[in-house]
Amino acid sequence: MSSPLPPPPPPQWVVAMNSPMARPSKAASSIPDPPGFSSSRGGKQREKQQQQPAAMKRGETDDLKMKKAWEIAIAPSKQLPMNGIMMYMSGNSLQIFSIMMVFMLFKGPIQGLINTNAAFAKYETPTTRGRLIAVKAVYVLMQLLLLALGIWKVNGMGLLPTTRSDWLAWESERQPLERAYFAFR
Amino acid sequence: MRLQAALFFAACVSPAAAIYTDEVNHIDFHHALLGAPSPDSTFFLKPSTSSNASLLYTVSDKSILGAVNPRDGTLVWRHDLSRSASGPTGGAGILRGLDGNNAVVGAAGDYISSWGAQDGKLVWENKIAEGSVADLELLELEDASATASGRDTLALVSNGAGVVRRLDGDTGKTKWEYKDDGGDTPFQVSSSPTEVFYISLQSAMLKGYKIKVTSLDSLTGRQTRQHTLSSDADVTGPESVLFVGANTASPLIVWADKSQKSLKVNVIGSKQVNTVSIDNTSGQEIQQITVHAPHKLNALSHFLVLYRTNAGSWAEVYHVDLKSATVTKAYQLPFVSGESVVATSSIDANVYFTRITDSEAIVVSSASHGILGRWNLESPSSERASGAVAEVVAKGSSIAVRSAILRQSGDWELIRNGQIEWNRPEALVDAVAAAFVDSDAQEDLAHELEIEGHDSLHGAYIHRVKRHVRDLQHLPDWLKELPKRILGSILGDEVTNLDSFGVAKPVIVATRKGRVYALDTGKQGAVIWSVQAVETSSWNVKAILIELGEATIYPSDGSSITLDVSTGAIKSRSAPKDINIQSIATVENQVLAIQADGTPASSFDDSTGFLVTTSADGRVLGWAKSDNKVPVWEFVPPSGQKVIQAVARPAHDPVASIGKVLGNRSVLYKYLNSNLALVTAVDPKGHTAGFYLLDGVSGKVLHESIQIGVDANQPIASTISENWFAYSFYADSNDESAAKGYQLVVSELYESDIPNDRGPLGSAGNYSSIHGDSLPLPHVVSQSFVIAEPISHMAVTQTRQGITTRQLLCTLPSSNSIVGIPRPVLDPRRPVGRDPTSAEAEEGLFRYAPFLDFDGRWYLSHSRDVADIKTVLSQPTLLESTSLIFAFGGDVFGTRATPSQAFDVLGKSFSKLQLVLTVVALAVGVSFLAPMARKKQVNMLWKA
Repeated sequence: MSSPLPPPPPPQWVVAMNSPMARPSKAASSIPDPPGFSSSRGGKQREKQQQQPAAMKRGETDDLKMKKAWEIAIAPSKQLPMNGIMMYMSGNSLQIFSIMMVFMLFKGPIQGLINTNAAFAKYETPTTRGRLIAVKAVYVLMQLLLLALGIWKVNGMGLLPTTRSDWLAWESERQPLERAYFAFR
Repeated sequence: MRLQAALFFAACVSPAAAIYTDEVNHIDFHHALLGAPSPDSTFFLKPSTSSNASLLYTVSDKSILGAVNPRDGTLVWRHDLSRSASGPTGGAGILRGLDGNNAVVGAAGDYISSWGAQDGKLVWENKIAEGSVADLELLELEDASATASGRDTLALVSNGAGVVRRLDGDTGKTKWEYKDDGGDTPFQVSSSPTEVFYISLQSAMLKGYKIKVTSLDSLTGRQTRQHTLSSDADVTGPESVLFVGANTASPLIVWADKSQKSLKVNVIGSKQVNTVSIDNTSGQEIQQITVHAPHKLNALSHFLVLYRTNAGSWAEVYHVDLKSATVTKAYQLPFVSGESVVATSSIDANVYFTRITDSEAIVVSSASHGILGRWNLESPSSERASGAVAEVVAKGSSIAVRSAILRQSGDWELIRNGQIEWNRPEALVDAVAAAFVDSDAQEDLAHELEIEGHDSLHGAYIHRVKRHVRDLQHLPDWLKELPKRILGSILGDEVTNLDSFGVAKPVIVATRKGRVYALDTGKQGAVIWSVQAVETSSWNVKAILIELGEATIYPSDGSSITLDVSTGAIKSRSAPKDINIQSIATVENQVLAIQADGTPASSFDDSTGFLVTTSADGRVLGWAKSDNKVPVWEFVPPSGQKVIQAVARPAHDPVASIGKVLGNRSVLYKYLNSNLALVTAVDPKGHTAGFYLLDGVSGKVLHESIQIGVDANQPIASTISENWFAYSFYADSNDESAAKGYQLVVSELYESDIPNDRGPLGSAGNYSSIHGDSLPLPHVVSQSFVIAEPISHMAVTQTRQGITTRQLLCTLPSSNSIVGIPRPVLDPRRPVGRDPTSAEAEEGLFRYAPFLDFDGRWYLSHSRDVADIKTVLSQPTLLESTSLIFAFGGDVFGTRATPSQAFDVLGKSFSKLQLVLTVVALAVGVSFLAPMARKKQVNMLWKA
């Protein structure tokens, strides 16, 4: 019996794929890549590149996240002056326009308050959780400020039952204990 | 709140909804009344020679002179003669007119006046200085002095002796005068074409009167001759003479002998007395003899005598022979049982007699007994007729007649060829009391629901099922009515039929002459029924109380009459008592009569109730339970002053809000006390008037206001409602700074002058006037306005819940109108001498102006001449916006007031038809498009 034949040499493309690409010559490397082709390395190398900073600067990322979170927390306060001017300008009369504006003014902060956790979910990691509480508190405060603006506006429009006249309907007439019958003519 | 304020402000800017022209005669009605017409002074007259149209002229027992359009019974013009006459006129006036003469001459008392027949404008007027007018005649004779325009008037003035005057037809100046110094009773004047006759009654030696005829020259008034007719055996007084013919070619004097066996007829001017025997074949005693003769100069000298017995009547027609001055009987109209009246009319020389009996109307010519026209009366009236006037029109060979029948009650109706054309309820003229009837359909349901509420669950269920099954019997009727109702509501001119919302309420009206009427406010005040409840001429009704479909009327003599509200049938009567009742009060379903001295006729039994009365000597008295001898308190005004009027808050006076919201949204609390009474006391000598606000339980004076310079003879009116009261008076003042003229003062009561403060009682739920702390005094804000005319009566509009702003209803006697002044105008908090601040403007206050000009839109009576109104009633309806108004006393007027506009009623511009068509068009469109859209969707599914 003859010994089995050695396996056929792998095809050229297999060799080419397995061995790293020969470094292009200096002249070749100066040729620019065709448009759309990236000369970056393979998948493994990319992974390495991404993992490298995370592994290296974990503290730095957290700081970055906190910075972003602060920005979101402060954002509602930027609306305050604009909303304030709008509310001031729209007047205290009951019109469809001012009613809609007041409605929007209430809708924004209330939705913001409900979605407080969702807004900061991106920045929440076990390490930042503790630091985010203060951020969230500021965020809630800002939304409350917006709400206060709305309440101020509603009060200005006279929609808050804060005066005696608003409760007049619940007050009743004094009843006499005696009754007089009149026989005038 | 702001919205309310804005609405409120809008309401103030246009204070009241005026009455629109298309609402006239729809929401309001007006009976422009004259009073019972006097049969002798009622006639048809053609005011103009150019036109054939005639008007009906009359003067009533209230001395109101008027012209009525015979076509529809509307009043063309009227004048109250008694206003111009000095002193009482004493019954009906006298009215004379002539065809083609554009003036009618009327007299009442000492006042004689001539009025343009077409337009009612005054031609001339005269006041007789020395006596009153006993008779009038218009001279028809054509002499040289007669002018084309106005006929001269002969007036007989009676002041013991008689004075005959000829007054110029254009100026009313006296042309000549004849004085009778014989001491006879002046009776009548009459005229023939050539002469004027003065007829007086000369008392005979023993008893009775002789008729004295004095002939006067018509140009100079000089006596030409005089003779006496020996009538002393028959004539016992002026009423014995049956007839003195006027202006016929041969004027007559007719009287009957005492046994009523024969009739004596004298042609005036001749000495001859014709005796015609009365052949009474009826076998009954003759009750009444009336003579009917034409009043025209050129008419044939025929006359008719109507003999009336208890059972029926017959008539005889006589002809007068001018040459021999003799009277012959021509023919007889047969005896007809029942009522009958006769009217005379003439066309040229022909004389026609119209006889109207219970069942038919016939027209005969005076020349022959042939009946020219006969009509059956469709709906004969049960009431006695007291007289009639007729107008006959000949159309070729046929004849048409229209006759106005005067009923005993004073009502009159026009019958044209047997058909009743119109009816004027003149007996309504002196209404003394009225009351709205609340329909009891709702009450029944409320009663049933009450039963269900008190029953057990099972029992209530059975009861309700039974009730619904019982209600099913109305289903066929309801279904039958349904298409008509739907069509009517779509095509009818009224958008919504409001009758079921309580705007169509019957009103029970009692008149001075003892009649009771029910008027329907939903049908322009049409008479539902009328009843002669009492035979009297001065029925002093104090109250009409309505309960469970029965109206009980309480006159001042202590009797009472109960009528069925829907039919007018008298259910029960109680005999008069020996007391003089001044007013009626109801204490817990107990009816109390209050005597003139202020004491209740009987004691009442309500431990927390107090009765407040006024006495004739000008005090206000308070009474407690079961004691009608000694009052618990007494209010005596300061010396000299006498209580003339007292008003209390209406029985139904709901208060929607217990406070007034100010511009800064604080609250000024109203001083609300249901026991308030506003008492007016007047000192005629000292010219002061005091207005005292009393607490009806303790008699404590809560507020008083003394006005100086008040004229007690001018009307003083006052009213109180909710937390405000108003009064008006005439003040004369020498002080330069004080107002002089008619003033209207309005005052509002608040618990405290500080906003948001409920006063000393705080938030207590109850208060007592006699126990514990004394009743706190109100904080009163007042403002007074100068008004242009007097106010004789005040009332306040009432609505169901009191949410609608109120109107102060004022009766203006000098302009014959009723005005509803909106309350926001009469707000005593209006800023004085400055423009309102923005907060005040928001509240609806505007700058005070001392002169209150009645806006034309406030006039509820708009252009109507609503004369002689004594009382205005207001009644809430089921619609909060609407208040029913009913005014009576002289005229009768009713309307609906909407002080805050008719906010709960669809406007007239709302088209139901358009709405229905839109819905139908949309439905048709959908039914077309739906299959198309479905098909398209299916196709899309296949293609995808």
